[in-house]
Amino acid sequence: MSEIYEQLATGILEGNVPKIPELVQKALDDGLKADDILSNGLVVGMNEVGVRFKSGAMFIPEVLKSAQAMHAGQEVLRQLLAESGSAFSGKIVLGTVKGDLHDIGKNLVGMLCEGAGFEVIDLGFNVEPEKFTEAIKNHQPDIVGMSALLTTTMRAMGYTIKAIEEAGLRDKVKVMVGGAPVDSDFAERIGADGYGHNAVSGSELAKKLIGAA
Amino acid sequence: MTFSEKIPVVIIACKVMQSMLEQLIPDQLLQQAVFMDYGLHRVPAKMTQELQDTIDDLNDPSLVVLGYGLCGNGLDGIMAGKHTLLIPKVDDCIAILLGSRQAYIREFSAVPGTYYLSKGWLESGSHPLKEYEEYAQKFGAEEAAWIMDQQYRNYDRLAMVAHSQSDLEKYRPQALEVARYCEKWGMRYEEILGSDRYVRRLLEIIDQPDQSDNEFVIVPPGGKIRQEMFWDFQVQPRK
Repeated sequence: MSEIYEQLATGILEGNVPKIPELVQKALDDGLKADDILSNGLVVGMNEVGVRFKSGAMFIPEVLKSAQAMHAGQEVLRQLLAESGSAFSGKIVLGTVKGDLHDIGKNLVGMLCEGAGFEVIDLGFNVEPEKFTEAIKNHQPDIVGMSALLTTTMRAMGYTIKAIEEAGLRDKVKVMVGGAPVDSDFAERIGADGYGHNAVSGSELAKKLIGAA
Repeated sequence: MTFSEKIPVVIIACKVMQSMLEQLIPDQLLQQAVFMDYGLHRVPAKMTQELQDTIDDLNDPSLVVLGYGLCGNGLDGIMAGKHTLLIPKVDDCIAILLGSRQAYIREFSAVPGTYYLSKGWLESGSHPLKEYEEYAQKFGAEEAAWIMDQQYRNYDRLAMVAHSQSDLEKYRPQALEVARYCEKWGMRYEEILGSDRYVRRLLEIIDQPDQSDNEFVIVPPGGKIRQEMFWDFQVQPRK
């Protein structure tokens, strides 16, 4: 039984884009649940990608390929997950902070959250604090996720949280942060509700923060 | 008594600064200098470990001058041990190439989407064109193009920085080749004349550490580098 989960995880790790939808279909045909295929196969593989990337054992091109494979797998499961009602009904606003143009990690979090059933509002990159607060007012999300790749820009996360506080909206959302130079100490220091070590951790954290995990 | 007379001064710097330092620092300092590989910042935890190991390998209590900025927080957590650490108070080497934090803030605020080129990076092949060529070899042209798009489509500018006009001119042809490749993303090419000011100031501080100011971080023996030391002001936590 667990063999197919392993095959799925390996397929993700290898970025085997054509193989993954086949494997997912096979798993479904074998009677496995969409939820389990996602969590025990695809997500496990993607998490390992994150761990290896962080340690320098995998690089951006491979991560991007794995993300493509992940997306392909999620597409097969999308309808089933929606039908079974296992999808998380949460809303998340994502953005890379002011001054920062890097968005691969954020895009991955978005993809994973969407695959899990979240409604994702992606504000893009170089997002001013005011734009985050505006998005909170307009969309009433459960969670706000911020990403930064530079030590220069990660400080904007602190300013953004301040802006959310000053707008009287801090208690309305959970804030999570992530990105290469960010760590849990920094997240705590600026008053974030959580920190995602990699994209999968970010999406798992999102599930936890809306009490659905 | 100055540092250089009292205790050994050891410079541990990223190779990106090597040619600049070689032109400016006295021979006796240059002899003990250690130049580390480019790109350590790509895995910040590795950078921390490698720098820590290099510092710990020094036998005599020294003034260790780190030719780095925070560099993705690679410096965060490094312990001084028996040494004193002297570091430019910058996020990365761009500020050092530009000559001051103000120059860095000026450029960064004006065009945050800038990919900086330097003589060191051109020489080591750390630039988008080389990256594309390597990926094309490994994954094929189409795949490589897609990978590059994911990483670079958001940038607006390719800026070549050198601290002397002669360097700008010497490296212009190579930089322009990279610029031509980057045109696909609408990146405009600019040249920025930096300055050796920061390095010259660093040498002054090495000689007279009591003249240190907001442009430098000094960590005494037993201390630890913390990223907060590089921030201009504190961000207050919510609780």
